[in-house]
Amino acid sequence: MTTAPAPTGSSATLLPAALAHAMRPALAYERERAWHRLASAGTWFSGEQRLAIAAESRRAVQCKLCRTRKEALSPYQVDGAHDSLGQIDPPLVEVVHRVTTDAGRVTRRWIESLLERGLPDTHYVEAIGIVAVITALDTFDRALDLPQRPLPAPIAGAPIRSRPPGAQRNLAWVPTVAPDALTPTDLNAFSVHGDKNIHRALSLVPQEVLTFFDLDVELYLKDQQIRDFDHEFRALSHAQMELVAGRVSSLNGCYY
Amino acid sequence: MPHGSLLIEFATAVIEGDANERARTREMLHRTLGPAALVDAAAVVASFNAVVKIADATGIPLEDYKAAATADLRHQLGLDRLER
Repeated sequence: MTTAPAPTGSSATLLPAALAHAMRPALAYERERAWHRLASAGTWFSGEQRLAIAAESRRAVQCKLCRTRKEALSPYQVDGAHDSLGQIDPPLVEVVHRVTTDAGRVTRRWIESLLERGLPDTHYVEAIGIVAVITALDTFDRALDLPQRPLPAPIAGAPIRSRPPGAQRNLAWVPTVAPDALTPTDLNAFSVHGDKNIHRALSLVPQEVLTFFDLDVELYLKDQQIRDFDHEFRALSHAQMELVAGRVSSLNGCYY
Repeated sequence: MPHGSLLIEFATAVIEGDANERARTREMLHRTLGPAALVDAAAVVASFNAVVKIADATGIPLEDYKAAATADLRHQLGLDRLER
């Protein structure tokens, strides 16, 4: 597994040792595993390509076109070129930048236009998973004033290139797999974390479901813990966690 | 809600604030609720700043039971008129 330098805090009053002590071991483990998975070959992208997508997501926050679109009432009327690192194809740059900076205004029509330009739906879905993971990792570090971690070195390996045969476009704007459409050869994306719609969202690329939610259940809660109001699982109460979650969702304009 | 205002300030600072605002709210949260609560608050912010991208970029709908439970509220707010 790839490792990164030990976190160092820059806050004068919040010592890194205190943070390290407060970090739940399962959360620390899943953070490291998420970094490792970012650098490893996925289903459709190599480790090098996955890291390039993660790097492009970080780049997007400095992109002038994205900033202009974010401020526009009609973001799809704003043309221009992204400030890209140039490591991935332009349609994928468009995906990574828009989802990173303005996901709340993604439309079905926009996705369809990208697919018409030749971007495979599988690659779109895997890229969304990568953007989500790097967003989670970087947001956590920023929240704790930890320095942004350098992206790790890519890990050699080939993508498995496997599309679930039961995937259909009947739930979301991208094909998804229903639990009853799994075949014996499919990686079961629902066996660990459940099969709510949000788990099905990335199920065209089942490994991305597992990669994101293995991390997410330690950041937030496991599915069965969310409505278990008889127990508290974190240093914050359920109500406090939902307040934070609601505020972040609101700031992001999340409809879900 | 115990310390609700502080938690909202912290979440807002992480998503929209500058480094000074993040430092101010982070240190207040640390002093008030302790390091474990700070880590967990940071983790929830990270989770919901990420999962939104999956929901929004795939157009996944609300589950039927969630839609039913929020039907009145969504009608009052006019949210159902919004189409993407």
